[in-house]
Amino acid sequence: MVNIEIEPFTRVEGNGGAEIIVENGEVKDVKLKIFEGPRFFELLTLGRHYWDVPDLEARICAICYLSHSVASVLGIERALGVNVPEEIMLLRELGLLGELIESHALHLYLLVAPDLFGYADAIRMASKHGEVVKEGITIKAFGNYIREILGGREIHGINIKPGGFGRYPTVEELERIERQSEALLRPARRAVNIFAEQEPLGATVQHYIATNGYLYGDKLIAEEGEKFDYLEHVEEKTLPYSFAKQSRYKGNIFMVGALSRVMLKHDMLTPMAKHFYEEHKEKLASGYISFNNLAQAIELVYALEKAKEVAKTLLDKGIEGENVPIEPQEGEGIGYAEAPRGVLVHHYRIDERGNIAYSNIITPTAFNHAIMELSLYEEAKKRYGDSDEVTFLQKLEETVRAFDPCISCSVHVVRL
Amino acid sequence: MMLKLGVFELTGCGGCALNILFLYEKLFDLLEFYEIKEFHMASSFREHDALDVAVVTGSVSTQRDLNLLHYARNHSNYLIALGTCATHGNVQASVEGKIREKLEKVYGTKANPMRALDSTPIVQHVAVDYALPGCPYDKDEIYQVLISLAKGIEPPTKDYPVCVECKLNEYECVLVKKEIPCLGPITLGGCNAACIKSGVGCIGCRGPLPKEANPASEFEILKELGYDEEYIRRKFKTFARGELRW
Repeated sequence: MVNIEIEPFTRVEGNGGAEIIVENGEVKDVKLKIFEGPRFFELLTLGRHYWDVPDLEARICAICYLSHSVASVLGIERALGVNVPEEIMLLRELGLLGELIESHALHLYLLVAPDLFGYADAIRMASKHGEVVKEGITIKAFGNYIREILGGREIHGINIKPGGFGRYPTVEELERIERQSEALLRPARRAVNIFAEQEPLGATVQHYIATNGYLYGDKLIAEEGEKFDYLEHVEEKTLPYSFAKQSRYKGNIFMVGALSRVMLKHDMLTPMAKHFYEEHKEKLASGYISFNNLAQAIELVYALEKAKEVAKTLLDKGIEGENVPIEPQEGEGIGYAEAPRGVLVHHYRIDERGNIAYSNIITPTAFNHAIMELSLYEEAKKRYGDSDEVTFLQKLEETVRAFDPCISCSVHVVRL
Repeated sequence: MMLKLGVFELTGCGGCALNILFLYEKLFDLLEFYEIKEFHMASSFREHDALDVAVVTGSVSTQRDLNLLHYARNHSNYLIALGTCATHGNVQASVEGKIREKLEKVYGTKANPMRALDSTPIVQHVAVDYALPGCPYDKDEIYQVLISLAKGIEPPTKDYPVCVECKLNEYECVLVKKEIPCLGPITLGGCNAACIKSGVGCIGCRGPLPKEANPASEFEILKELGYDEEYIRRKFKTFARGELRW
């Protein structure tokens, strides 16, 4: 028996690795290991006032802090029976779009593109392909600008609050978002062509899960079109070799993320993004995990088109900037948001004084843990003995990278 | 000659490593002086050798973190503790209880096969040459320190509360005018008062102001505003539990 270790995965966020178990010249098993330490967020927020909670939850992850803030706020508002006007939901959507732009640009241009161009990182790639890297950085910086305006800071801002915002964007800021999203569409379109060239890797997805709205929702959906709460059909189990848990949908391995969204919600895409979806439909429908990168590139186009549309709507209507007053009361609520890398669940019970009595958070990388492991297994089985060790390990890393895993996020806790 | 730089990530949200990438063109300025030998979030290139500067982010939350930290310390001339996890332990260090009790509450078993530890800041384990707090830190600070080190000059340090930058920006005082709990008076500045810009109170993510802060007075002010003692105590400790001054 030989064991091959990958430790740690590079060009991914957080600390994770894999162990490939080989017996009699064949890959027998693969274990995906998360060795990022546990941070006990559910214990951290227990007994705290709901108002302070989204600011703490944001700290689960830097790349998708705003998705955590929004999912947290949605869960809290549902628990407290608060309904916010359309304006506030549009502003939250704009924030989520900014995060999608920032995160996808980071992942595609700085983490994945070096694989396609044959470099160890984007810095080395920049010597020959400076234009591509520069375009990526410009798009990423724009996504961060939106996060700064709506979220309060590039990372871990605390502007997104239950009932509204600390500060509302100005007309000038919204105009800048509208203008710049238009201007960046051209390089984003080029990105689709670059990532459409990637080879198929990993497992093929059999079950997709997403939220019912494109970037947030009040339920989850699967390919059958049925709407459900996560507790109804998703079970979790702990693993002895990992700080993350694995999930199953009705007993099946499933995937969340850009590919799931594009497959389940292509009807909601903006015109140019839909055009790209149609063009690459066959590839996407094959379900190979590596096409999650292509799906992200299509979403980059979507997010830029949509950010322009949302900014325009808000400018046409004018910003009222009124928060909804909240009276603490006992209740329970679940918030669903789409982080750039997939469905994010924040579930709370709140007591009559407005303090958190229970919370459960499930992150996209935890949802994807099982299919990541399966993908590594299938890719390793296919390649073992066929390619040299360097290529073998590179391809396994590329397979994991396609999920855009956020390992900090995946370390989570359940059921107090 | 180029200086050798390593970026090491222990347990955290990944933001401190990410924030280095957010330097954009300034990152390329740094690369005029430094070659990156380890930075697993950004690069598959690794060359493990002696480093001139090790940047360590995150808290010590597993045995693996601790080993990695010692490795970084033993292989570098300068070690920079970057971000509040590294300097003060951050939110994960504020969770009460012993590790096995926490694991039991969360994973349903006291077993600890992955060797998790109670989270602590790295400054508790090794000597650090520079400590830059902030959740996240202000990215210009790391730029300043790395450029200063490359040029052989002492980097500037900050020693004023968040209130100074709040006043310079002419923001309205949320504590006095809106009675919103704000930790600005006792928190180390350098963030350009980002949270007060949003009209909300400082939550203390940069940790306590080392000198001249008056936490007792802040405690009384918040009590007078009607917040109970437990609430205030928890608020004070959220980012800097390991810090005795609060």
